[in-house]
Amino acid sequence: MSRSYTGLVFILPAIIVLAMLIAYPVIYTGYLSVTDPQGALTTKNFVNVIRAPASLQAFLNLIYFVGGSIVFQVVLGTAAAILLNQSFYGRGIVRSITLIPWVVPGIVAATTWAWMFHTEFGIINYMLTGAGAIPAPIGWLTNKDTVMPVMIAINVWKLFPFVAVMVLAGLQSVPQELYEAARMDGANFWNEVRDIMLPQVRPVIVSVTLLLVIWGLNSITLIYAITRGGPANKTLITPILIFRLAFESFQFNQAAALSVLFFIVAAIIVAIYLRVSRSPEGA
Amino acid sequence: MMRRSLLGELTISISALVLILVCLFPFAWMALSSIKTLPELYTIPPHWLPDAPTLGNYATVLFNSNIPRYFLNSVIISVGSTALALLLAVFASYGFARFNFRGKRLFQSFVLVGQLLPTAAIIVPLFITLRYLGLVNTYWGLILVYTIITLPLSVWMLQSYFRAIPYELEEAAIMDGTSRVGVLFRIVLPLSLPGIVAVVVYAFVTTWNEFIFALCFATDSTVKTLPIGLAEFSTEFNTDWGGVMAASLVMTLPVALLFLSMQRLFVGGLTAGATKG
Repeated sequence: MSRSYTGLVFILPAIIVLAMLIAYPVIYTGYLSVTDPQGALTTKNFVNVIRAPASLQAFLNLIYFVGGSIVFQVVLGTAAAILLNQSFYGRGIVRSITLIPWVVPGIVAATTWAWMFHTEFGIINYMLTGAGAIPAPIGWLTNKDTVMPVMIAINVWKLFPFVAVMVLAGLQSVPQELYEAARMDGANFWNEVRDIMLPQVRPVIVSVTLLLVIWGLNSITLIYAITRGGPANKTLITPILIFRLAFESFQFNQAAALSVLFFIVAAIIVAIYLRVSRSPEGA
Repeated sequence: MMRRSLLGELTISISALVLILVCLFPFAWMALSSIKTLPELYTIPPHWLPDAPTLGNYATVLFNSNIPRYFLNSVIISVGSTALALLLAVFASYGFARFNFRGKRLFQSFVLVGQLLPTAAIIVPLFITLRYLGLVNTYWGLILVYTIITLPLSVWMLQSYFRAIPYELEEAAIMDGTSRVGVLFRIVLPLSLPGIVAVVVYAFVTTWNEFIFALCFATDSTVKTLPIGLAEFSTEFNTDWGGVMAASLVMTLPVALLFLSMQRLFVGGLTAGATKG
């Protein structure tokens, strides 16, 4: 009896803080979403938010951004992990360097890449035109066809190191005997990658991808700092739209309604992901 | 390891070089740009190395901007929220790792759900809550907000460390009459130092880098943090890319140093939390 009481006492401070600053705000969002600024019940917020063309566009942009990012983050991160798992001279330092993009502040990554992608003075246009890859400088951040791919590229650069660390940890725990047995059978490097490494780290990749999905749906810093959603709403994603509704147009109730919808959709995406990744057919 | 062919060696070396280049090039360019003069930054085609290296951009950042003040704000807020998150996480993790009580699973999932909530979805109500508590534009406001961001993963990571400590050690001390809290501080914490370090690095780096909550909840220059300062710097001096690059470097150094010095412990803690769950 006394033990059950002690355990609760230990967790209580954390629970109280979380309840105050997470549970209460979440419940309050629900309340805001179904009331007008005077506090009367209404469904107007949801109707307005669903009717606004920007809402759908922001959501589609978000899916494009998150989906595009994750594919490359996982592929490049896993490739980097396999490389960092080989023994070579200077491996320790290369492992440390690989982590740097992930550690630096998102806003720093945003400003530095924005400067590198600068149309006239940017080093990227200089290198590409110099190498003859493009005939004339491209306005990467102002052209509506290139801006989202550029955002995805920067996001991939920022987060593939995280995938690499996690997958590397998984690779390090692969029993050496598996490789030895495979070599007895005459397996080459690619056989090892396909038949040993990838199947062994699959659980790690699954859980890392889940984190990437959640972070991706949450991402706002990179795009907000570089384009604020422009040009022509081409990089407007749902989190930025919520932020704009609340803090630029001060439509707290509509922002709350959009938050509720967004939360439901995000929860469904996460649930579907969990279901697919857990079922054996999903392999 | 099997002996590799020459081709294999070559592939590995080249891939490693490409990896280093991809990860470091933006920082090299940041550093080079930060010591160029304004006219040189706006030269077409761009120069790789500065003709006349200058520290003028750093002087602007250090003496003619709000960056030093924001730096101080960032330190206060990051240290404060890291300390608070660590304190709460230590107790909560110990409670979860060592006790059985009614509703434990419910509380555990409640803590984790905090990690899953979309940030954007709680900004508005959190803002209203803070305004109600009178905490908008205060250090405490951001410290509390950052605590709830880092708390869930901190609890998750620490739990796996606490579970790994043999319970017999604690039982012996309890037999000797040490209190539960005494056991926690004298036996469990010293043994889980790597986990503590991992949580501290994670919480500090996360709060140091955080942008969007700071943007919403700290609109006064007495509490604004560095990420906001950097964003401001690039609009305030729209054309001063040298200053922006210098400020970026100033902001990156503390986290990069902290992280690289603690990297081994941190990565261990992170991956332990993830693989043992």
